[in-house]
Amino acid sequence: MAHEKVLLVDDEQEFTQVLSQRMEARGIVVDAAGNGREALEKARAESYDAIFLDLLMPEMDGIETLRHLLEINPDLQIILLTGYATVQKGIEAVKLGAMDFLEKPAEIQKLADKIRQAKTNKMVLLKKRAEERIKGILEAKGW
Amino acid sequence: MSELSPQRRHELKLAFFGRIGAHVSHEMRNVLSIVGEYAGLLADLVAAAGNGRPLDCEKLAQLSGNIAAQVRKGTETMGRFSRFAHAADQRNASFDLTSLVADVAVLAQRHLARAGCTLEARLPDGAIPVTGDPFGLQHAVFSAVELLVEFLKKGESATIKLDAEGSTAVITIQGRATVTTSELSARISRLSPESKQWKGRVDTSCTEGLLSLAFEIPIQ
Repeated sequence: MAHEKVLLVDDEQEFTQVLSQRMEARGIVVDAAGNGREALEKARAESYDAIFLDLLMPEMDGIETLRHLLEINPDLQIILLTGYATVQKGIEAVKLGAMDFLEKPAEIQKLADKIRQAKTNKMVLLKKRAEERIKGILEAKGW
Repeated sequence: MSELSPQRRHELKLAFFGRIGAHVSHEMRNVLSIVGEYAGLLADLVAAAGNGRPLDCEKLAQLSGNIAAQVRKGTETMGRFSRFAHAADQRNASFDLTSLVADVAVLAQRHLARAGCTLEARLPDGAIPVTGDPFGLQHAVFSAVELLVEFLKKGESATIKLDAEGSTAVITIQGRATVTTSELSARISRLSPESKQWKGRVDTSCTEGLLSLAFEIPIQ
């Protein structure tokens, strides 16, 4: 089975560096972005099983980044991982389409479980999209 | 600035306290998260050693140094927050203005960073003893920084400086801003009510795009 691939988006570079090392030791492929703009560039260029997103970042905050990421691909599995945790923000993020909302600090096992769940969700959505495409083609041909 | 009711002034102070509290809690969560990840990395290395991989002493020393640096950062943050919180108890206290402005500058730096800007503090070497309401002054200075941020050009560096001459100290918050006189007039009414007490002054002419807000404080 292919390795899971994730994107960590956080302006705390030291945090993303150490978390990347720990995830990589568990066979997860990790990319990091220091702000929302960089995250959008990476999400356009690469396919990720999960994206971990901080809320408070310079220039473009987590909620705005979340909106733009879902415009690029509405099926992206995005998990807010933040020290700026309020129930209101959590609800807002999930309503916008985030998969989950976690508070820092989070246990590595919990993050690894979320990544697996995100990959499963992604596979289900890919299958659904493929079925929809096939159905569309068949209907167009009158079969 | 129109007169506000005591209830409204109290609400504004409480809201300011809340904003700073939320900011500090965010900083501390980041520090604890990094320490938590380092602890996890140490646990990973120990587990690997249990499976026969030799422990790398240099790596361990580096991790220990990184954890100590985060603890220092957290201690400084909590020290600043403690001074800030205790200032709320004192309406007429003797305090060092240089330390107070240094603390506000650090608290304001992240606020500016979120707007894509930076804040440079230019402070004198020595202490400047003053008497008054330290919490009110912090509120006044921070609200001036918040005003400036709204009009600051992205990527610009703002400055907060403290000068003392004779019997008066002046705190100046300055940056290159894009603002019309009418926009500024509308926004000034939302400066903290304590700004008046500290003779808050705003250069509304915004000469060559440079917006300045200043406070005059009598030296003890």
